[in-house]
Amino acid sequence: MVMNLDMAKKMIKAAIERAEEMNRLCSVAIVDDRGFLVAIHRMDRAPIPTVDIARDKAWTAATFRMPSSDIIKFGDASSPGFGFNTQNWNDRLTTISGGLPIKYGDDVIGGIGVSGGMPDEDVAVCEAALATVLA
Amino acid sequence: MKEVTLEIAEKMLEAAERWAALSGYPSSIAVVDKAGAVIAVHRMDGAGPMTTDISINKAFSAVYSRAPTLMLARAIDSRMLGPIIGSGGLGLLTQAKLRLMFIPGGNPIRDEDANVIGGIGCSGVPEGVGDISDTTVVQAGYAAIYEEYD
Repeated sequence: MVMNLDMAKKMIKAAIERAEEMNRLCSVAIVDDRGFLVAIHRMDRAPIPTVDIARDKAWTAATFRMPSSDIIKFGDASSPGFGFNTQNWNDRLTTISGGLPIKYGDDVIGGIGVSGGMPDEDVAVCEAALATVLA
Repeated sequence: MKEVTLEIAEKMLEAAERWAALSGYPSSIAVVDKAGAVIAVHRMDGAGPMTTDISINKAFSAVYSRAPTLMLARAIDSRMLGPIIGSGGLGLLTQAKLRLMFIPGGNPIRDEDANVIGGIGCSGVPEGVGDISDTTVVQAGYAAIYEEYD
């Protein structure tokens, strides 16, 4: 199973429907398993920076194979990879929540990032999108 | 039409994708608003990873220069440059934090009064200015606007 445009479109549609229910204006980005962009949609009147933030979250989730908020664990000096979260090696890494890996069985086939609401709202929108495709 | 909405952008992408699929070259297509900010980007299955950013930047460049990126490509054509290094189009090269694209395939979207209200860019079709090129893909996308508004 690999990420494809049809699946990405379906996920984005579900995410935007959920965001509309919650009265939030946001951007939704889907990347493939290597972190390369597949699709982005920005809702009408959603702030401009949300596009890139959503993409950053999706990239982080897909390449680290963990929710983007989990990156903060590299701030713990006793964990392997300490300091990753602040090392400026890459302009896409983010610790903001709202990015989740897209899993198919045990494989990570991509990542989804949502930006525009409160942190837990962004995650809820991500989960709505994941539920649609993997159900 | 005064504004490119997500709904219109999706319509344009769909039409452009249909054309790109017909031509046999999977591509990335991006639609941006009048600020040059992304509204929607799609990378078709099989299109290379770099095509997404190129299509976004082509659409941005079309808005920024209020002209097709074909004209930007002309601006840095060696035949267009003046006798002094840096005169003519070369000065454009480093503008907009290196986001300007000098490759054909980005067109501005205009309203009835010919104001630029957005841009559309495509990347993925190999070089060409004839029947099949990035430019014809974005033109196919542009034409989709009028399916509803005429």
